[in-house]
Amino acid sequence: MTFRDTLGLALRNLGEAKLRTSLTTLGVSIGIASLAGMVSLGVGLQDQFVARFTKSGLFDSITVTPGQDIPGGLATLARGGRRGFGANRRAPRTAPSPDATPLRSDLNDETVKELAALEGVREVYPNVRAPVEAKYGSDSEGLLAAGVPMTAHDEGAFQSITFGRFFSDDGAKECLLSLDMAKRIDPANPQNLIGKDLILIHAAPGSRGAALPPGDAGLSANASRVEEPYRIVGIIERETGPFGGSATVSGLMIPLGRAKAIASATRALQQALVPERASERTYNALIVKVKHAQAVQDIEDQIKKKGFSAFSLNDALQGAKRGFIILDIVLSLIGSIALAVSSLGIMNTMVMSILERTREIGIMKAIGGSDGDIRRIFLIEASAIGFFGGVTGVVLGWVVGRIINFGANVYIQNQGGTPGNLFSLPFWLIGGAIGFSVTISLLAGSYPAARAARLDPIRALRHD
Amino acid sequence: MATLLETRDLKKHYQMGGSVVRALDGVSLSVAQGEFVALLGTSGSGKSTLLNLIAGLDRPTEGSLRIFDRDLAQMSSEELSLHRRRNVGIIFQSFNLVPTMTARENITLAMMFAGVPRTERDAAARSLLDAVGLGGRQDHRPRELSGGEQQRVAIARALSNKPHLLLADEPTGNLDSHTSRDILGTLKNLSEREGKTIIIVTHDASLADTYANRTITLLDGVIIDERTPSRV
Repeated sequence: MTFRDTLGLALRNLGEAKLRTSLTTLGVSIGIASLAGMVSLGVGLQDQFVARFTKSGLFDSITVTPGQDIPGGLATLARGGRRGFGANRRAPRTAPSPDATPLRSDLNDETVKELAALEGVREVYPNVRAPVEAKYGSDSEGLLAAGVPMTAHDEGAFQSITFGRFFSDDGAKECLLSLDMAKRIDPANPQNLIGKDLILIHAAPGSRGAALPPGDAGLSANASRVEEPYRIVGIIERETGPFGGSATVSGLMIPLGRAKAIASATRALQQALVPERASERTYNALIVKVKHAQAVQDIEDQIKKKGFSAFSLNDALQGAKRGFIILDIVLSLIGSIALAVSSLGIMNTMVMSILERTREIGIMKAIGGSDGDIRRIFLIEASAIGFFGGVTGVVLGWVVGRIINFGANVYIQNQGGTPGNLFSLPFWLIGGAIGFSVTISLLAGSYPAARAARLDPIRALRHD
Repeated sequence: MATLLETRDLKKHYQMGGSVVRALDGVSLSVAQGEFVALLGTSGSGKSTLLNLIAGLDRPTEGSLRIFDRDLAQMSSEELSLHRRRNVGIIFQSFNLVPTMTARENITLAMMFAGVPRTERDAAARSLLDAVGLGGRQDHRPRELSGGEQQRVAIARALSNKPHLLLADEPTGNLDSHTSRDILGTLKNLSEREGKTIIIVTHDASLADTYANRTITLLDGVIIDERTPSRV
């Protein structure tokens, strides 16, 4: 008997008992709706989490530092080392093994290009902190101005600038302040600083600016003082983390192009003054942004192979994902309860069907149907119930999810939150739910099918 | 003529409660190809049991039952279903048509198990129904047909896989005398024109004498009489 004939016969049999088939299918669809709904909630929450944190710039960034094995340094930290007092004693500097990759410390524009060429890398930019003196009115303060790339405007803290706006241009003489810093300047009305100028003062070689006052510690007459007004264009409430999109820990942020220029001038001056400390290293660290957070580990490994130190918060993301997997499993188990009940419904329907069709089974055996043919007919009937129940269950789950999502978003918006998709129904979940439904139905139908196949034809033919 | 079926000391015993029922208790017989044999006997004589064993619907307790030189007693469940599918066509007293299927579907069902392609089995079913005089009733369900018509559908179904052996268990038991003669005439025709071997179970000795080449009478599981009707 061909599969097509068996399928046709099974569907025909189901059609002969429309009400019972519909009710059993409805039971399965409720089970699948519950399961798919629960899992889609887990997936939706995970997607929300990953999307938000990916957008925060925390999980798609790799910080690249020179490949020197500095005890207590970032590389050591990345390997779980300890830093602080006594770190040198606990972790003495060791020479790299002969077969190890040569360590590199050339963090310069060439390296930026080299790392940007890696597959999966979206962007590479240096982590620049330019030493400046910020002056507002009569007050001044020495600071490290963090260079922020223009691409960071939709990442991390820059997504929601409390007052004002992001930089207009990479070369613009504009700055952003953290709210804390703005409050230090104008405690009463920090937002009033928007549009005002902050004077940034830095040192440079030669005579680009005013000569430094005589007696300035350690600087010769070759150094000059550059004073430039930077328009305060925005204030952000929180500072981004050390590894975030802007990689800033400073309360003062300027466009990356400006920060590089200042840092470059400062470095040039340093090299002019102390030539023996000239280094191939232009930057202290580079930030590598990857296209997909999943690729972080792979790219991080590639960078390490090149001889640099690299680290990311990928592990933290992986840990969180593992947590979500556990959440998914728990939600699936809760959702499976309804499916377990409906699988009993399938079994009951099939057993009832055998009782009703005992004589028919006997006839089929008498005219040449084998045990296998009978078993297949019943298994296909069960899996057809599972398939239709799965499809309608997924649709039902989606509809209920949309309704709950709508209600939840209305509530979230009323509470001042950002609405999002709490339920996510990716293709794998649709396919998986239907496949699971068919599998469960097959399992539930296997006992009745075996029972039908084992029926003694003579007894079955005598059955009323 | 070549022997199609041979039994030797065939026994079928059932355990019923604490006692053993000897439904068949040492039956030895042989049937040649193209023969029309009637099994006679009172209720409980063992004739239906013998027919079920020949059909491969049941297994003997002891003895041998060879059809086409193969011993049914040694066959697996799968082989028995193949035997029912290829070698025998069974006609029952109560017709045993699937009530939810039309006349044509009842016939094609048997061919479906034999793996006959759809177009081929549809054409064959139409032709068989025409042959039994039910060409216009193809799409009727059993409840829409008379007893005689249902039995003719059952005969058409029994013939669908072109078996050599037709087995009929009281095929006229539920029919009036006119229809009974009609049905037995159809079977007789199949035996004479197409060389089908036919074994029918009946308690009507006169009908058996009229149509069969040979009658075998059973009582309490043993053959007590075997003869050729005088007309033959």
